[in-house]
Amino acid sequence: MSSLGPDTTAAAGPPSVPPAAAQVRVTRARRSTLAAAAAVVLIVAVLAYLPYLVYSGTTNLLVNFFTLLIMASMWNLLAGYAGLVSVGQQAFVGLGAYGVLLLASHGTSPFLAIPVATAACAVLGLPVWWLVSRLRSGYFAITMWVIASVCELIISQIPSFGGGTGTGLPGLPGNPTLLTADTYWATLACAVLALGVVYLLLRSRIGLVLTAVRDDETGARSVGVRVASTQRLVFLVAAAGCGVAGALYIVSQQFVEPTAAFSVLWSAKMIFITVIGGIGTIEGPIIGTIIYFVLQQTLAQYGTWYFIALGLVAMAIAIWARRGIWGLIADRFGIRLFGVGYWLSPAGPPDRDRGSR
Amino acid sequence: MPEPAGPDLLRLDGVCKSFGKVVVADRLSLTVGAGDLVGIVGPNGAGKSSLFGLIAGDLRPSAGQIVFAGRPVTRLDATARCRMGIGRTFQVPRPFGGMTVLENVLVAVQQGAGLRRRPSYAAAAAVLDRTGLLGDANIPAERLGLLSRKRLEVARALATGPDLLLLDEVAGGLTDPEVAELVTIVRGISAQGVAVVWIEHVLHALTATVHRLLCLAGGTFIGDGAPAEVLALPEVREVFLGTEVTASLHQAGPRLADGQDREDR
Ligand SMILES: Nc1ncnc2c1ncn2[C@@H]1O[C@H](COP(=O)(O)OP(=O)(O)OP(=O)(O)O)[C@@H](O)[C@H]1O
Ligand SMILES: [Mg+2]
Repeated sequence: MSSLGPDTTAAAGPPSVPPAAAQVRVTRARRSTLAAAAAVVLIVAVLAYLPYLVYSGTTNLLVNFFTLLIMASMWNLLAGYAGLVSVGQQAFVGLGAYGVLLLASHGTSPFLAIPVATAACAVLGLPVWWLVSRLRSGYFAITMWVIASVCELIISQIPSFGGGTGTGLPGLPGNPTLLTADTYWATLACAVLALGVVYLLLRSRIGLVLTAVRDDETGARSVGVRVASTQRLVFLVAAAGCGVAGALYIVSQQFVEPTAAFSVLWSAKMIFITVIGGIGTIEGPIIGTIIYFVLQQTLAQYGTWYFIALGLVAMAIAIWARRGIWGLIADRFGIRLFGVGYWLSPAGPPDRDRGSR
Repeated sequence: MPEPAGPDLLRLDGVCKSFGKVVVADRLSLTVGAGDLVGIVGPNGAGKSSLFGLIAGDLRPSAGQIVFAGRPVTRLDATARCRMGIGRTFQVPRPFGGMTVLENVLVAVQQGAGLRRRPSYAAAAAVLDRTGLLGDANIPAERLGLLSRKRLEVARALATGPDLLLLDEVAGGLTDPEVAELVTIVRGISAQGVAVVWIEHVLHALTATVHRLLCLAGGTFIGDGAPAEVLALPEVREVFLGTEVTASLHQAGPRLADGQDREDR
């Protein structure tokens, strides 16, 4: 990744600039970022090798993990950065799932159908954005939910999709070991790609814009930020992201029904995970998904209690630690795993190896 | 009304705006020339900040026209007007709290002035230097004190490369030496040919800096001219009767009472 290299420049400036400004440099890469990049490569390599080491139960669990991680990262991008709080992202989860079903029932391999369905979700995101972009906060959130419900109703009327009772996904490989491994690898690849997109987006010029919009939308407009077009971009990325999660969901379940695919629980989980982990940070959804799964595994025998526990944890965090678990960790230890910020040197405290983002 | 030095940069024609029954602009007309340095005073709630909102595009007038650099901008939003060259600060600072000071300025350079990568870094560093923020560059904006927050407001507006800079009470709540520093910064900006319109209750700072003073009250300008002349007008003295301004007219340049800066934090 070339953008990880030191991207440094001397701020020479026009002749009228006093010498102080000419002596500083603006830098991107940080030591901690390079360490994190190495760790990411190592972790992904180990994860990719996992199907040779563990039983399918573990990889299936990780498939769920990655799918939720993708969704939460997308919701975080939407709500945490672009200020678009949606409770209707399940619209794209469902459309992604049914997109794969549609393609697979016409003979396409489900795995090849995943990227196509993802792209289709981004395209479908355009008219949806046209509809909801005029709406603010609560109205936006609720309208997204309505759109998801409308999608569910329409899909459940289509007999070839199995109507309301659902249908199996045709065209999957017969060998169960191979299927499990392929599903796992596809999910891992999509998760790495999705998180990579989020990271690169936030590290790019748009990242600065998104963070500004996150912190103060009026202030952002006053410095020339095109808030609406930035929000549209994020909305389409999130549509594709939730679409790919839905596509992975149907492949891993090998079955789909409208109520599950378009369930508002998807949005609830995205919100829980993001709020618990830390909204408006790249790391937050990752931490949040880990916590979610730990809670789910330990409380699984108590049935729906884990949902209640999760709700209580999310509420506690929303009240007492608004920046989530990652916010607490980052403040306590002063670390950023994914450096997307800028650094001016030698001005400022030189001992701090971090930015604010 | 004194003729502005250069050609008109900004013109307001019969601009009207009210919030319910509160009239903040009643057929307001105003011209600001390129490179002008204009002060605005007026009692609390006179509509000074709202006037900036109208000029910068945060508020829509119910009637009237706004022309900037020869182009009507009445229908343009704040983003477009910023990109055309209108920079503004907010009375209550609106920093991007989770971003560093450098990043605050950088986003303004990249979006408002349209610079990218290295040129944008250089421009941001130059703006930080001019506003005395180089030492705070890597600090998250939410950790800044009041003076630095006010400076950041100026820095961010300046970073958008404005031809017209709107300063809303950037000296409010500061100590005298801090005010003096800000005055130096504002003078420097003006010396570079940027037109500055400055709303301020800290009268001694304003009158020592601007060439022209406007007094806004009841949605109209009740005074426009050289600072000393405007402050001597009976109608201006009347609206300020018993307020901080009258006090500071009598005492030589004291700091203002806390009351008027209630909005500043
Ligand atoms: N968005 C708004 N909605 C409703 N009323 C508003 C709004 N903005 C301002 N006002 C009202 O308009 C009047 C003018 O406000 P404005 O902030 O422009 O005054 P000001 O001259 O800047 O005052 P100050 O010296 O206190 O900053 C006030 O009475 C205020 O309450
Ligand atoms: Mg005001």
